[in-house]
Amino acid sequence: MRKYHLVRRADARLKRTLIYYAIGILVSLIIGAIILVALGINPLDYYGRMFTIGLVGNRYGYKSIEGLLKIFVPLLITSLALSLSFKMRFWNIGGEGEFLIGAIAASIVAFNSTGMPNFVTVLLMCLAAMISSGIIGIAVAALKVKFNTNETLMTLMINYIMLYVIRYIGETKADWNFFLRDDSERPKFGTFPDSAVMAGIPIGQFKLLWSVLIALALTAIVFVYLKYTKQGYEISVVGDSSATAKYAGMSVGKIVLRTMFISSAMIGLAAALAVSSAGTISDTITNNVGWTGIIVAWLSKLSVPAVFVTSVLISILQYGCQAAATQYPAIDSNYADLLQGIILFSVLVADFAANFKIVRKEDAKNA
Amino acid sequence: MKKLISMVVAAALAVTSVFALAGCSSANGGNGGGSKASFKVGAIYINSQNDTSGYTYAHHKGVTEGMKKVGLDPAKDLFIVDNVPEDDEKVKQAIDQLAGNGCNIIFGISFGYINAFEEKAKEYPDIIFSHATGYLSNDKNFNNYFGRIYQARYLAGIAAGYKSLALGNNNIGYVSAWGTEYAETCSGINAFAMGCMAVNPDAKVSVYEISTWGDQQLERQAAETLIDTYGCCVIAQHCDSSQPQIVANEKGVFGCGYNSDMTTEAPAAHLTAPIWNWDVYYATAMKAAMEDPANFMTKVGIYYEGLNAGLVDISPLSSNCEPETKEAVELAKNLMKNGEWDVFSGVKLSFSGSAGSVAVEKTNAALVTNDGAEIVAAGGPSVEDGVITGSMNYYVEGVTQVN
Repeated sequence: MRKYHLVRRADARLKRTLIYYAIGILVSLIIGAIILVALGINPLDYYGRMFTIGLVGNRYGYKSIEGLLKIFVPLLITSLALSLSFKMRFWNIGGEGEFLIGAIAASIVAFNSTGMPNFVTVLLMCLAAMISSGIIGIAVAALKVKFNTNETLMTLMINYIMLYVIRYIGETKADWNFFLRDDSERPKFGTFPDSAVMAGIPIGQFKLLWSVLIALALTAIVFVYLKYTKQGYEISVVGDSSATAKYAGMSVGKIVLRTMFISSAMIGLAAALAVSSAGTISDTITNNVGWTGIIVAWLSKLSVPAVFVTSVLISILQYGCQAAATQYPAIDSNYADLLQGIILFSVLVADFAANFKIVRKEDAKNA
Repeated sequence: MKKLISMVVAAALAVTSVFALAGCSSANGGNGGGSKASFKVGAIYINSQNDTSGYTYAHHKGVTEGMKKVGLDPAKDLFIVDNVPEDDEKVKQAIDQLAGNGCNIIFGISFGYINAFEEKAKEYPDIIFSHATGYLSNDKNFNNYFGRIYQARYLAGIAAGYKSLALGNNNIGYVSAWGTEYAETCSGINAFAMGCMAVNPDAKVSVYEISTWGDQQLERQAAETLIDTYGCCVIAQHCDSSQPQIVANEKGVFGCGYNSDMTTEAPAAHLTAPIWNWDVYYATAMKAAMEDPANFMTKVGIYYEGLNAGLVDISPLSSNCEPETKEAVELAKNLMKNGEWDVFSGVKLSFSGSAGSVAVEKTNAALVTNDGAEIVAAGGPSVEDGVITGSMNYYVEGVTQVN
């Protein structure tokens, strides 16, 4: 005897969605404030520091911006890449693993690049990462096309396989292992030679890394690709209905393979840019973009401009949470994570509320 | 629906305004942009400062107590970035944050922070960088610090040795994060075993390696295996939680904890635990950095102290200890404090006599590994500190790894 049930709103409007988002964020900030007050901290003061990513009173503010961009670039590219495959209804949740494959491939080039010109090295790193991640993407897509395997499971498992591969590399002291510092008795990842470290354009003390410009250009390219090219159109047709695509004479298998290659290769590129900017590799290099990217893609409804905006906001949230937590000895990063989680959850609930409504059964019948 | 939303919004507004007021009246919190003259301390932790036990807890306690000793207020002058993995990029960002907040000295407590500390010490010459457990330094603003915890483990070994003698069971167990891969764990196991054998020459130490610094489930299983399969009567440990002691308590055997006095967790089992008094170092380092930062490296430099400075010690002996333990521990402790004797040398200590008349005897005996290789000749001097902290990768006679 269900009296109420959910109905999708026929008139989904942007304005209402934004208002709901605002309410969601407000509610989550209030929950966060309750905890802050309980710890004896002024929430307004704390949130002020959080949303200004700790820039106020910071001696090296330009470094905060650099740090923020280092979080932003991989997240943006990964989210774009995931949007591509999601648009085709190919559930690629292997972003973490694809990222790590790219990071390892790029690092192999980087650690062996002593003496090579910087531009050439970074280009080779990007290519190595894109090809190796792309191949894994194609492999999973081929299994799906050929044997109709479940791509969610396949991509998910790549994450764990690659995580353990990189941990193995990081913890194994051996002659072949050029990833590690030579002079350390304990296994410890080394740093790249200068030839493999991302360069940038100095603006005063601030250094605008090339990776940022590459990410911006890539955003524009993906936007055009999806909106104005035949291949982009094919992706959305396959996503809407692969039967329709087949009927229209499209080769669905080919489209799936191609798109997954592009999607994984982009994630590989994000990894190459990330390791090059960091000048090293580690098992936490992904910064969870493979997971966060899924949230970004869905919050953005797979729209490229929205992915851009959401990536900016989530990067600010992540960086700001840590920056604010640093300034209060009582606040640890668990609080920062908690607050991020509450905010994201509230926004998702708000999104749901903006698109669905609860109606009584009788009303539904009359409607 | 509309009504509901407007109610939620109204409630939200009401609640925020209340908090805004409450916030104003509560402590000022936050400390960014304080007066420029004040001295600020930065710390980078592997876990959270709000932990209630374990490695980060011990360091955080040391930092805050050290700050109080030198007249700093941890609520105002301390900046922390916590849960920082051993990832150079994340450590560098943490350092940038702390530098941006005006920290004068930055402590990093985990080994894997080493690359980032080395690099950032060059970038910020005015800030002092101090790195625990590492091996790098420079001559201006970058040192490393650690302690002779093996000395405390030797003392705990004495307590375990007396217990095994009293029980007539020579099997002693040791739950260890790592085995011979890390000199830190390896030297600890060896020192503990030598302490056991100084009292009970027939003692055998069985090591169970769990291959991670902390995993409560694995620590528990390791202790159970050592007791049930290998018949161990005392369980020592080099891992994060008190699970091995809790298991010893449940199974009616005894144990030596680590990092904190685990008698509360295992009242019927715990003997004593090797502990760190990190505040000894932190106070020394902060004082030097406050008074004369330019000469930090000559005044503090590479810091590696032991029982003599009070940096390491054992927790008070519990009532579970055998009566002879107290005197024997004091005798050994004094020899090490005075620098007359050290663990990894060609001289062995042996204890004899009953409570009230315990005597220690020194005999020349080579330091030999469990596969017969001689490390130090009989009567020879102690191995170098670099071996103890960096390259020791063998077990001494009497130690076997069971997994």
